[in-house]
This record gives sequence, structure tokens and C-alpha cells, in this order.
Amino acid sequence: MGKLAALDKEAAYMAYIHVDQLDKTYRISQRSKGALGAIKGFFRPNYTQVEALSQVSFDIAPGEVVGYIGPNGAGKSTTVKILSGILVPDGGTVTVDGRIPWKQRRTHVSHIGVVFGQRTQLWWDVPVIDSYELLRDIYRVPQAEFRRRLEEMTEALDLAAVLHTPLRQLSLGQRMRCELAASLLHSPRLLFLDEPTIGLDAVSKLAVRDFLAGERERHGTTIMLTTHDMEDITSLCSRVMVLGHGKKLYDGALDPLLARYNTQRTLTVEYEQETQLDVPGAERCQKEGLTYRVVFRPDQVDTARVLELAQRAGHVHDLSVQGIPLDEMVAALYKEMAL
Amino acid sequence: MNAWKLYFRSMGIHFRSAAQYKASMVMQMLALFVMTGTELAAVVLTFQRFPALGQWSSQQIYFFFGLMSFTFGMVECFCRGFTAFGGQVRTGNFDRLLLRPRNLVLLVLCAQMDVRRIGSLVVGVAALAYGAFAAQVHWTALKVLVLLFALAGGGCLILGLFMIEATATFWSISSIEVVNVLTYGGRSTCQYPVDIYPRGFRWIFIALAPYGLAIHLPAAYILDQTMLGLPAWTAFIGPLAGVAFLCLMLLLWRRGVAHYTSTGS
Repeated sequence: MGKLAALDKEAAYMAYIHVDQLDKTYRISQRSKGALGAIKGFFRPNYTQVEALSQVSFDIAPGEVVGYIGPNGAGKSTTVKILSGILVPDGGTVTVDGRIPWKQRRTHVSHIGVVFGQRTQLWWDVPVIDSYELLRDIYRVPQAEFRRRLEEMTEALDLAAVLHTPLRQLSLGQRMRCELAASLLHSPRLLFLDEPTIGLDAVSKLAVRDFLAGERERHGTTIMLTTHDMEDITSLCSRVMVLGHGKKLYDGALDPLLARYNTQRTLTVEYEQETQLDVPGAERCQKEGLTYRVVFRPDQVDTARVLELAQRAGHVHDLSVQGIPLDEMVAALYKEMAL
Repeated sequence: MNAWKLYFRSMGIHFRSAAQYKASMVMQMLALFVMTGTELAAVVLTFQRFPALGQWSSQQIYFFFGLMSFTFGMVECFCRGFTAFGGQVRTGNFDRLLLRPRNLVLLVLCAQMDVRRIGSLVVGVAALAYGAFAAQVHWTALKVLVLLFALAGGGCLILGLFMIEATATFWSISSIEVVNVLTYGGRSTCQYPVDIYPRGFRWIFIALAPYGLAIHLPAAYILDQTMLGLPAWTAFIGPLAGVAFLCLMLLLWRRGVAHYTSTGS
């Protein structure tokens, strides 16, 4: 018993982020309709309690990359606000690297970086480099360190061409890359990303993900990421937490979570010439010119058996088997968890 | 990197941002120049009819006008972070400021600048300079010092008054018009000497919003006028009332911040 408690204590100490039984309730004032309602609301405000977080606990080790998912309003941003020290919880304990975020705001925020996908921290009308220099002054980054860091970022994010352009003239993708550099100039140990790839094109998304993976590789930065883009999660995160209605519903790897929703396969096979394909036990079998599309459930028909039938039917020109798209699996997950 | 340097660099960024749209910036400055100029013209035209107001000559009144509009303009120009604080909270920009490892008051001050107000500052300085010249002020080192005190103390007072509204936004009170009576109302009332008003009314601007102490006393000292029956040395102490007022409001504002971070709205 004594030994177990000691181990527990050690585990908490090892954790970079330690969150225990976090609670947060918002009071939202409700006003009845019309002028009379406005007057009534002034004298006796009518509040409803909204539980944003309830008994949320987790530990994150240094260098971990954690995806934080859940539908809108699940409490993701509330968690990030509490962890970054700009919101005080109603109950529970939080430590980040031994600090209580909201009690030591200034020390705490000098060690973290925060990127909001939809809100900039740079100055709109001046060249990006001017913003960086002001951030250097705000964070008190020594000039030599700043220059070294900026050089590293410029290279990793391919910023050389945009540094001297005003932010407003940049594309969304360029802006996001500038944003990332801005939030990392002071070499934070912990990075929060709120939908970092929202609205970006495929190339920019890849660039952002590559950079984040590299940053973690090089500096061991702990990253916590909220997103609706499952590709962000699969390409970056070793671990995912699912939040719904303020409760933590899942914590672990993404694949096992989704395996049970990945219950259906689609075989697409294109033949050289007209053939007849018949798969007994398949859900659907459509023919479109020389191409067949067969939808089946692996627990009812063996995938190997389906392939064998397909090959026997004629001379195959091209063939592919696909599972359920990630987004659909997540939608099924949310639905089942009644979110 | 000390606070002042950070502040001036921020102002530089805001100015350069505004200068990106040169025509618009010039037009807006001009608009404010004309607006404040019209107010001054109204005062000048009035004193075409009445050469004096009690013990005050028209030139001395111009000096008062200049001192008030310059001080007020300085606050509106360089402390816009607070004079337009509600907007910062509504747009979520204040949350961004909370993420920066600096004193919050400094961060709010650095966040904005109202470049247009330079237009009113020009009018203010002109009225101040002409008034002092025409009223034949005998400048001494002490008078220069008192003028600087008045600018600083008056500036603190005006900033403090704006902070009442800034603090109210933390409790989701979008705007309390009552405060405008003290800020803008105080400005138009106290661009004249306080002693032209009835005794009871004066107390509003001595005890509640102490323009009378922070601006009237120093101005009367500089213009060699009687100072509400107070001794001359009070001209040096009066502006401290503005500083004290600001300190009080800063304390309230900090409570507001604490409230904001605990409610998240």
C-alpha cells in the first residue's frame, strides 16, 4: 500500500502535465424576450449552469503529442484555456511542469506557445519580421538566441520569401506557417494548437504537420492539439483523448478506438474486358462499365475470399480495397457516444 | 528589454500600420483636427462677445482649453488600449494578451494606438502655446515643472476615468453612460476654470473626478490667478490627486481581471 502510493506520487511527478478531476461550470445569463424581459433580467438575472468540464483527469508525459478531439462545445477550448493559465477552474488540480498555470500566469506563459487556427497573434499591417521582433521583446528572447531560432524556423517553414511582407498580403497557408514560427520563437516547452490546419490546402497541411513532427523531434516539445481533421491526428499523435459534454470518454491510441467502426470494406476492381462478378454475402455489388464496386463486411465474408472471386472472374486491370473513411468512423463514434 | 522600450516599439508598429494607408490616415487626422478646431473656434467666438469670464481673460481661457484638449488627446491617442478596452475583450484579443509574459496593464497599453488623435493634439498644443503667449505668462522653472505635473496628473486622472468603463466590461456591462458624464462631460466642463461654476457643482470636479485639483490648480498657478482660495504650493500637490485616482482604478481593474479569468466571459 505504502509502496503503491509512493509509485503514484512518482507518476504524478513524472507527468509534464497533470490534470486531476478538473471541473468548470459556466453561468450563462438568460434573458426573457422583449423590453420587459430586459428590465427583469437587470434586477434579477436568470442564470443557467453549463457544465463545461466535469471530473476530467489525465497525465501527459514530456514530449508527447496528444490529439484532443470531440464535437464543438465539448470543452476542448475550456481545457486549453485552463492549461494555459487564462481561465481558473472551479475544482480539481492542474500542474504543468510543477506550475499551477493560473497562479503563476507570467512565468507559466513564458514557457508555452499557443496557436489559434482562426485568430492571429501577429500584427496585420506590418512585415512579419517586425512582429517577430516585437514578440522577441515581449518574451525577452536574447538577440543571439532570437537570430538562431528565427534562422531555424525560416528554414523549416520556408519563410524567407514572406518575412518582409505585411501579414495581410499573405495566403492562409503562409500565414499559418508564420503563426507557428511566432508561437515558437521563445522556444516553449509546451505547444497548444487549436485547429492548426483549418482552411488550409493539402500542401500547406502537409507542411504544417511535417514541421510539427520535426519540432518535436528536434526539441522534445510537448504538443497538445485540438482538431477536427483526423489526418492531423493520424499523422502526428500517438495518443488521442475524446471529450464529450465535458467528460473524458476515451484516452489512448486512435486505431483501437476506431477499429470497431471500421466494419465495412469497399473493393473496387477494374477489368480488361466485360466480365460477370458475383460475390455471395456482399452487401452491395455495383457495375459501372468495366468497373465493379463491391461493398462487404469482413466479419461476414472473408476479404481473401472476395479477392479470390474478383481475380477469378476475369483479367484484372486495377484493384483496390478501402475501409471506411476516417471522418465517417469519427462521426459514428460521436453518434454512439451520443454526443 | 524594459517596459518603456516595449511600449514605444509597440506604438511604432501601430503608427507604421496606420501609415500603410496614408490617404486614410491623413484624412482621419484632418477630421479630428477640424473637430477639435471647431470646438476651439466656438470658444474663441464666444469670447469675441465677452472679453473676460470673472477673473479670467479670454487668452487665459484659451490656455485652459489647450491644456485640457492636449491632455485628453494624449490619453485617447496613446492609451487607446484602455479607452477602447471593451472591443478588446469582445474580439478575444484580451485572451491573447493574457498569454504573454508581461504586466497586463503594460500589454493593454501596448495593444492599441489611436493615430487619428494627433489631429486634436495639434490643436491642443496650438491653443496652449497661443494662450500662454497672449496671456503673457512669465515662465519660470517652477511653472514649467507645474505644467509637466498637470499633464501627467491630468493624464492619469483621465486614464483612470476611462478605466471605470474598462473595468465594467469584465462584468459584461457593455457601456455605462454615467461614466461619460465624468469623462467627456468633465472634459467640456473643465476646459474652463472650475471656479466659474457654483460652489456645489465644483465639488463634483474636486472630490469625485478631481480635474479641479489635477488641472485647474496648476493652470491657475501658471497664469498667476487665485487658486480656489488655496496656497500656491498646492499646484504641485494637486496633480497627485490624478495619480491617486488612477491607482485606485488600477486596483479595481485588477479585481475585474480576476473576475474575468474565473468566469471566462
